[in-house]
Amino acid sequence: MSSYPKFAVVGHPNKGKSSIVASLALDNSIQIGNTPGTTQVKRGFPLKVDGKVVYELFDTPGFQRARRVFSWLEEHGDVSADKRADIVREFVFKHKENNQFRDEVELLEPILAGAGIIYVVDASKPYGAEYEVEMEILRWCGQPSMAILNLIGDEDYREDWSRALGQYFRLVRTYNPITAGHREHLELLESMAQLKEEWTNPIKKAIGVLENLHEQKIENSISTIVDYMVNVLSFVHTENIKDEVLSQEEEEAAKVAYREKIIRYEVNERASIERIWNHNNIEKKEGALSLEDVGLFSKESASIFGLSQKELIVTGASAGALTGVGFDLLTAGHSLFLGSVIGGVVGGVGAMFGFDNLYEVKVLGQSLGKRELSIGPMQNLNFPYVLLGRSLYHASTIAKRSHAVRSDLDLNNNSFTEKIMEASMRKELEKLHGKLRKSDEVEDELLVAYKKVIRESFRQLLD
Amino acid sequence: MQKNNSQFTFKSYLDLAQLLKQYQGNHEDNRVFALTQTTKGSKLLTLWKDKNLFRVVDELDSSKYLHYLTLFTSLFGFALLLLGLFTGFALLSYSGKEPVNVIYLLLVMVGLPLLSMLLTVLSMFTGNLGASFFNHLSPLYYLEKIINFFPFAKKIDFSALPFSATLSKWIFLQRLQLFSFLFALGLFFSLVLTIISKDIAFAWSSTLDIDPVAFQGVLAMLATPWQSFFPSAVPSLELVEVSHYFRLGEKLDANMIQNADKLGAWWKFLAMATLTYALLLRLVFWFMMKLGFKAQLKKEVLAVVGVKKLLKEFETPFVSTQSFKQEKHLEVKEEVTIAASEVLADNYAYLLAWNYSEKTLLLLQDHNKVEVTNRQVVGGRNSFSEDQRIVDGLEGKILLYVKAWEPPTMDFMDFLTDVLAQKEVTTVEVCPLGTVTEGYSSKKSDIDVWLKKLEQINSEKLEVIDV
Ligand SMILES: Nc1nc2c(ncn2[C@@H]2O[C@H](COP(=O)(O)OP(=O)(O)OP(=O)(O)O)[C@@H](O)[C@H]2O)c(=O)[nH]1
Ligand SMILES: [Mg+2]
Repeated sequence: MSSYPKFAVVGHPNKGKSSIVASLALDNSIQIGNTPGTTQVKRGFPLKVDGKVVYELFDTPGFQRARRVFSWLEEHGDVSADKRADIVREFVFKHKENNQFRDEVELLEPILAGAGIIYVVDASKPYGAEYEVEMEILRWCGQPSMAILNLIGDEDYREDWSRALGQYFRLVRTYNPITAGHREHLELLESMAQLKEEWTNPIKKAIGVLENLHEQKIENSISTIVDYMVNVLSFVHTENIKDEVLSQEEEEAAKVAYREKIIRYEVNERASIERIWNHNNIEKKEGALSLEDVGLFSKESASIFGLSQKELIVTGASAGALTGVGFDLLTAGHSLFLGSVIGGVVGGVGAMFGFDNLYEVKVLGQSLGKRELSIGPMQNLNFPYVLLGRSLYHASTIAKRSHAVRSDLDLNNNSFTEKIMEASMRKELEKLHGKLRKSDEVEDELLVAYKKVIRESFRQLLD
Repeated sequence: MQKNNSQFTFKSYLDLAQLLKQYQGNHEDNRVFALTQTTKGSKLLTLWKDKNLFRVVDELDSSKYLHYLTLFTSLFGFALLLLGLFTGFALLSYSGKEPVNVIYLLLVMVGLPLLSMLLTVLSMFTGNLGASFFNHLSPLYYLEKIINFFPFAKKIDFSALPFSATLSKWIFLQRLQLFSFLFALGLFFSLVLTIISKDIAFAWSSTLDIDPVAFQGVLAMLATPWQSFFPSAVPSLELVEVSHYFRLGEKLDANMIQNADKLGAWWKFLAMATLTYALLLRLVFWFMMKLGFKAQLKKEVLAVVGVKKLLKEFETPFVSTQSFKQEKHLEVKEEVTIAASEVLADNYAYLLAWNYSEKTLLLLQDHNKVEVTNRQVVGGRNSFSEDQRIVDGLEGKILLYVKAWEPPTMDFMDFLTDVLAQKEVTTVEVCPLGTVTEGYSSKKSDIDVWLKKLEQINSEKLEVIDV
């Protein structure tokens, strides 16, 4: 027998075994389906640190012919309790090639190889005596065991279930793989550590490893967000123009190109975040990449993530803003603000900043008679907060998303209600935004301070 | 000097930067690499670079740039050596009419080098802007500008090179020392050659009214480094006095002619001054620039995009949670081909309840008000043989209640197949029911699960009822 703890997640079909494994193994590729019998073979999910296994979790098919198995066991099992595991072993040995018991063989094998039993039931449905056969078979295996009450539906029959399960399992815990986050994950591991004395230390180690991993992911996310902000805000789009003067079409086309590039930055940033959290291949509601669909430049996104005029002034953005473009923006915002108050739309004042003032289009002369236009860096005072708000919202949603969830990622801006940061934090951010707006060189200390604010805000969103 | 962790050469720095632009590996590979090596830090970085450099298929920036540097350096180094030689000859050209002015020589051989060293020091200790100002004062700066117009320099995309203005400054300063050294070497050779091949009279003269005593003081000060071991190379006050000449005197001072043999003693001083200030001190400077360059290089290696991440990945344990076994799962079927009917018949020969208790069955029958002749609980806690006995006695129309929320297992399917196989059984209507709280009516999604499973059984006797 190998030295590390193993656990087999077993139970009736369709009760969320694979969902639980997906959430514990942080793997969103596991097939989960509402058809019983989705999982057909057992699969081990080892937690490895530098290639060394700390513990291993098995996803298994559900019981299909429990009664038949049990009647075989009873027929052959007129033995003392300590020999019963051997009878089960014999069963598995004799039926390896038998397709009829393929699922039972698959699920019993890891248990007979020393895995602890994690029996999963759906406690939102009434208890039924038919489960007793399964539990009886598991009892015959003689391995340490616990039961998990999963709540798939809305009702709660946990009391009935606990009374019955208590007779077969040492521990009974509630764990909902769809809503479980990092903390619930670790709590479940704590319970698993209690199943057997020799397992306590390895599982404690696993908890430490997963805690570090989680921290690492948070740090990587923060770095990704900061890099993204610096890149987007300092981005300058240039292209050649045909004539001496800039035509209207050229200007419009360049503005579109600029915005598309910004959207591309956002798409890439999100992909990086999803990679960090093992959430690759999530289907997104947002669909094809077009300016309108993404919503980055929408009024709605501005009203949710943007700052009000007052907030901008408090933030210090106005200090640099009272000249040039910034001033225009503020006054434009002001008149729009009045307009909308009269119109009865109060809401977030950020919406009042139209995104037409994102950029200054400049025409630059060039040596060989060619001319270039350039757009950027981003001039809008509020837009950095929209970008940042959206990215923090997305990143925290991804970080909190269980790997058992298979629904599309729906990042509806409107569902975002939390406060992202305090005014004092924004003041810190504005220092960097201001520098990038002016294409100034950014010192390391400034980036460190910026990162600190992002970290604080991100952690707040995760709690 | 060759300490283990200061081995990052300029070339490996350039290569690393180019490699990282194309390839950064992933955490797993990088961590595994770090674990298989015994070194850490920048040495490990070098090893990683060596292992992965094959991935860069374009010509290496480093070979282009270093080729350019070498070519530039040797070309101009040689040119400056010659320039020094010719400058020396020109300065020492002695027609016999007029002695060679020592002050002039000292300015070129000692003054100029000291001035450029001063600029170097100022450039060393100032930031980018200041340094750039001081560097602009040096002729070499313009030389480099010119060189960039040459075809071989055109091949290099300087903007693709990773280093900062500060590192360029150190490269520049290093080269400045080398070129100055070569120039001074040319001067020195010309001095030696001239001394060997000609008899030169040295003298000194200035438009300014310089007091010989003060002048000798300055000279003695310059000669301090070799005074102790080479006293004859220190001009004495007597020598200084006799070799003072005035252009307006037209012809040579009688005094000077008298002391002609003494005047020749100047060359020792000049040679020693050049050797000490223009050559040896320059070497010291060159070495200092090298150290400065190295220190800066070390800093810039860390600033290369991707290096910090790489170093972190070397040190952070790699955690994996995924399975390495191929998944095998049921094909996900979306559509259901059979439909549930909604009507119950008026009466049944048998009512079977799968996985229900006797008590619940009574309640169910009461609720649904169906007329049945026989009633049986199947599945659940029944043993296999009990169920078999029930199946054997079945006949006619059968209503089979199942829990809609519990998906059909193969145990159930076996049972149903057995029932359908009974000759006397005419129809079997499977009726999935909801929970008590749902009023026994089942959810659409649950019914779908049942339909999907039951459509696998191809029997005309089978029907699904959704009440
Ligand atoms: N709402 C909700 N649904 C859940 C939960 N756990 C599982 N499900 C759903 O229940 C269904 C079955 O989940 P699986 O994880 O595939 O169940 P399983 O036990 O592995 O099923 P088999 O592999 O067929 O034995 C899926 O449709 C899941 O989305 C839960 O905690 N909440
Ligand atoms: Mg499964």
